[in-house]
Amino acid sequence: MGRAALLCIVGAVALRLVITGEFGNFVQQHMRIPITLAAVLLIGLGAVEVVGDLRDGAVDPESSRRPVGPTVGWLLGLPIIVLLLVAPAALGAAAADRIDPLVPAEPATNAAAVEPLDDSDGPVPLELYEFISRALWDGSGSLLDAEVELEGLVVNDPDVDDGFRLTKFAVSCCAADGLPLQVMLRGLDTTYENDEWVRVVVQWRPPDDGVIDPEDFVEADVISIEVVDDPPDDPYETPF
Amino acid sequence: MPSIASSPTPPGDRSGPGNPADTATDDHQRHGHQHADHQHGDHRHGHAVGRRAWGPLLIVVPTVVAALLGNRVGWFTDADLRLWSTLFVSISLQALPFLALGVVISGGIAAYVSPDFVRRIVPKRQVFAVPAAGAAGLALPGCECGSVPIAGRLISHGTPPAAALTFLLAAPAINPVVLISTAVAFPNDQMMVVARFGASFLVAIAIGTWWARRNDVQMFKRLTDHQHEDPRPRWQQFVDVASRDLVHAGGYLVVGAMAAATLQLVIPRSALDAVADNELLAVLLLACLAVLLSICSEADAFVAAGLPQFSLTSRLVFLVVGPVIDIKLVAMHAGVFGRRFAMIFAPVTLATAIVIAVVVGQVLL
Repeated sequence: MGRAALLCIVGAVALRLVITGEFGNFVQQHMRIPITLAAVLLIGLGAVEVVGDLRDGAVDPESSRRPVGPTVGWLLGLPIIVLLLVAPAALGAAAADRIDPLVPAEPATNAAAVEPLDDSDGPVPLELYEFISRALWDGSGSLLDAEVELEGLVVNDPDVDDGFRLTKFAVSCCAADGLPLQVMLRGLDTTYENDEWVRVVVQWRPPDDGVIDPEDFVEADVISIEVVDDPPDDPYETPF
Repeated sequence: MPSIASSPTPPGDRSGPGNPADTATDDHQRHGHQHADHQHGDHRHGHAVGRRAWGPLLIVVPTVVAALLGNRVGWFTDADLRLWSTLFVSISLQALPFLALGVVISGGIAAYVSPDFVRRIVPKRQVFAVPAAGAAGLALPGCECGSVPIAGRLISHGTPPAAALTFLLAAPAINPVVLISTAVAFPNDQMMVVARFGASFLVAIAIGTWWARRNDVQMFKRLTDHQHEDPRPRWQQFVDVASRDLVHAGGYLVVGAMAAATLQLVIPRSALDAVADNELLAVLLLACLAVLLSICSEADAFVAAGLPQFSLTSRLVFLVVGPVIDIKLVAMHAGVFGRRFAMIFAPVTLATAIVIAVVVGQVLL
């Protein structure tokens, strides 16, 4: 009976994470269906056990004594307790400080030519990965003079006093493999809190000496900035 | 775990010597947890009270956890604790669907596939059984957490352990999903896919062959011992085995996820740069990193791609070691196959994976 309860609780919590969209803080969006199926399976297994136990138990009380298995099985409930007690959020500034930023690899030479950006209808929304990739590797200079809209969270940099690192994490499976994508925003005169979500319109600032070094942060001049109240449902990028 | 649910012993008969299986279970529970005595006692008074006996556990565990976390706030800052929780929950949640797939297959084998059938389709001679099991690994799209309960079930169902272990190592490393994600992560080094496939397959075959020669029949005794006919309907067997495997392997998975989340925080990744230029150190370091970070095999290629300061060979080592052995897997192996097995299997697999990956890397990359 204990085991059935455990299965139902774990399944129910997983289902709740999917329904509220909170699962997006922990895993990639494409895990939605697999996690839903797993949650339904857990609840189903638990429910069948309960029904079986009640029916067998009515006939013979002893037969409902099914061993739960080794005590370690109860640890399956631990993530739920952590969810309750700590309320973990999506990856943010604390993670960005610990993990080296992801530098987009040079695209394969046979890849299709980069599409030019047309900002005549307003700023072009780009993912951070694409912005950085174009800044580093696009020989056609599509970013020059184009107004681009980016979204991400604030990670302050002690070495910079007129801006911050606009950050989003590239996640391919779960947050544990998340790597920060960062663009150094310049030209701001107000400061922002770490982990605040912002939407900015920027223009790429090529390096002063004209030499593009993937080791350096890509920089951009801010044209306008607004704080986003609700972080997006999917706080991560999946560039791969 | 012996299957007890079908035990027909009437309540009054408990003190009699007649049912060794029940006695073993009671012993296990008594030593396993202080509340087991309590539960055992309750059962003498009837099941209504006995069922409620798990209640204390549900309270005791959270309390202990809250106490532990309370101490930890002193070590980490608040932000670090939340980051740890994010990583821990992420790893657990990410693994859940793969674990579920694994236990569905495991339960399906237990309930619907007869041991005779398994013995018939697995080649008699290990020379053929091992490569066949390796090739079967191609067909299971998932990461390493799901293949552990399947391998355990295969062994208890009469598959030669060498073949089951080959499958255990091959399945998470060479399935199509993993190979495609590797190709996507290394757009300019497509040989990486070939090298990863070749090296991982060779590791699985090598370990399988090693185990076949070792021929240790004692090791998996507890998995193979209780071969008796289960009188319950098949769907009930399926539910029982799937639930048991899920809770069992899941508990160990959580242990591994805790360790991996902690290590991800403790290891400063920027310190890696210092050794990137020394090939030998780089290989050893990335092998250790693969073991300690316990990143899912479907995602590790992207992490390796994010370490461009390291040579391709050392990153191949990272990709070959990770799916076959890491902290999370050691915990699961110890739980499913036994602690003694995990102690032998982990170092041998790690060493084999490093050597084979380095050789393949030198030839192909």
